[in-house]
Amino acid sequence: MKFSELVEKAEKLVGKHEKGKRIKPKKLGKLQQLLSDKKSRYEAKLAATDDPGKRQKLETRLRVVSAQLEKSRQLQAAD
Amino acid sequence: MLKKTLLPTILLILAYGFWVSPDFKEIAAGVSIFLFGMLFLEDGFKAFTGGVLEKLLQKTTNKTWKSLLFGVVSTSIMQSSSLVSVITISFISAGLVTLVAGIGIIFGANIGTTTGAWLVAAFGLKVKISAYAMPMLVFGIVLSFQKSKYLKGAGAVLAGLGFLFLGIHYMKEGFEAFKDSFDLASLAVAGYPGLFLFAAIGAAATVVMQSSHATLVLILTALAASQITYDNGLALAIGANVGTTITAIIGALSANVEGKRLAGAHLIFNVVTGVVAIAFISQFIWAVDVVSNSVGIADDNYTMKLAVFHTLFNLAGVLIMVPLIHRLSNFLIKSLPEKAKDLAEPLYLSEAAIEFPETVLKSLKKEVWHLFDSAFELMAHGINLHRTEILTSEDLEKTIDNDREVHEFDLDELYESKVKVLYSAIVDFISNAQAHMSSDFSEEMYRLRRAAGEIVECVKHIKHLRKNTTKYMLSDNEHIRDEYNKLRYQIAMILREIYRLRGEEDIDHAIAILEMDELKAEVQSAHADLDVRITEILRDDRITPIMATSLLNDFNYVDETSRHLLDTAQALLFSHSDLVAEAAQEVVLDEDEIEKASAA
Repeated sequence: MKFSELVEKAEKLVGKHEKGKRIKPKKLGKLQQLLSDKKSRYEAKLAATDDPGKRQKLETRLRVVSAQLEKSRQLQAAD
Repeated sequence: MLKKTLLPTILLILAYGFWVSPDFKEIAAGVSIFLFGMLFLEDGFKAFTGGVLEKLLQKTTNKTWKSLLFGVVSTSIMQSSSLVSVITISFISAGLVTLVAGIGIIFGANIGTTTGAWLVAAFGLKVKISAYAMPMLVFGIVLSFQKSKYLKGAGAVLAGLGFLFLGIHYMKEGFEAFKDSFDLASLAVAGYPGLFLFAAIGAAATVVMQSSHATLVLILTALAASQITYDNGLALAIGANVGTTITAIIGALSANVEGKRLAGAHLIFNVVTGVVAIAFISQFIWAVDVVSNSVGIADDNYTMKLAVFHTLFNLAGVLIMVPLIHRLSNFLIKSLPEKAKDLAEPLYLSEAAIEFPETVLKSLKKEVWHLFDSAFELMAHGINLHRTEILTSEDLEKTIDNDREVHEFDLDELYESKVKVLYSAIVDFISNAQAHMSSDFSEEMYRLRRAAGEIVECVKHIKHLRKNTTKYMLSDNEHIRDEYNKLRYQIAMILREIYRLRGEEDIDHAIAILEMDELKAEVQSAHADLDVRITEILRDDRITPIMATSLLNDFNYVDETSRHLLDTAQALLFSHSDLVAEAAQEVVLDEDEIEKASAA
């Protein structure tokens, strides 16, 4: 890892730590709601299509939304 | 519209002219060969920039009297003030001499050209420069094949001179047909109107014959045959002096603005000198008589008296104009300004905003979007697409497959004028604003600065990508063409998504920010897919190993560009006042998390 990348990672970690304390749980709850809605929409779209290309894209997007949802829950739990 | 129709119209007019008049064809060919010679000459002199010739020219033209002497000597040797002015234009265009020195040379050339009048008067002939054209071309081309930079340069100079002579020769040949149509006797008019009329005829005759010497011979013949009066003969000589500037003006067509200014100086000098000579014609006639008597020239020896007159009025012109040389230079710089570069200017960064943190952030974000818009144009054209093709809702993949038009533009120049200039303004604004910002706002400002930096990186990556993209999108090999079209698609698709989100009226900032993660994962998946496909098509010999290596390298540029674009969008779509968006910023996935999510 290059030094500049190391500095960048460190900055991100410090930033997260500082900001993590600031975010209100209520806002994270609202965000989780938005993400859950989105996840449901993707699941519905996935069920409605047989196109392998579209399915692959939707599955990728679903995994991303699930990861974001999981992350927001972890943040809320840590708060 | 006009731009599109202008060239075909010119070509049609030329074609028609060639069809109806062989003389016109010869003249046009002469002008073309002449201009071609100018280009050679400039290139040749550029090879000597920073070398011996530059030092020599600097030493011989660093004072007005020196540049005057340079003009006198060189014109006396070459026997053509037009040629000396054309060479001086190429010196200036190559940055070898300054405008003031160039003007000095031109003034000197006007004195030097009077030696021609003496030669004509004494021997009735002149040095035929066109005879040198062929040997110069041959020697020039042989030298231009050499490896040495200086030999190549010398070759280009020789070939350039050869083409210049050849061009002048063809122009003369072409105009030969018009030569006999001058019946001077029928035009004889007394007084000043006659003087101006004959000056105009002298200028026209020199333009036609491309030689003031030839006009002098014509004047002497007319004088000897009593077709014109002595006064009218002098006016013709004055006009010939003005007409000779046309060669410099043609030469300046292919020159840069400095060259054009010099041609302007040549024209102004010769016109001013001509007007002064006509205005004080009686005094000049008296002076010619005084000089002629003192050196023993007979009263009726008009040939010699014409040479004396030519020398006297050019000397008078130099004496009048030399003290004004710097003013003339300034006037030309003002009248013919350097074409201003189309520089992008920051639209939202105002010094007044710096005092208020909220205003700073708002202005800054708008300016980074402005930078993004400028970069978008370069990126779109860099992958040979129109912005409208990306921004419409048409099927992007089909558009890219069908659009094989190469966009010709100078990406480096546009990067300097449209991107770098804005980026510098943003960095400067931030450094000034930093002192007034609390840590809360500083963080956001830092994020925006990084976004601006990422936009700049995107353009740099597109610059690297452009060469092969242009090459392979036109390839007959459909496999490599498809792969490069996929790369174009990926960038275009991300740009389209970013602009779609930006354009949404009631945008949900949180969702928009997080949606960028989905695109990042798609890019990651595309990378994995590409690896598989390359192995497959390379194994089946559908693409060459060189194509595969280019593709892998270029995919890295696309990958980097995509990430930078998406990171930038996440920074720009963030709203400081939207707390859910602030929460979304914390939920944004890092590289490892994206990689994990993208893996099937």
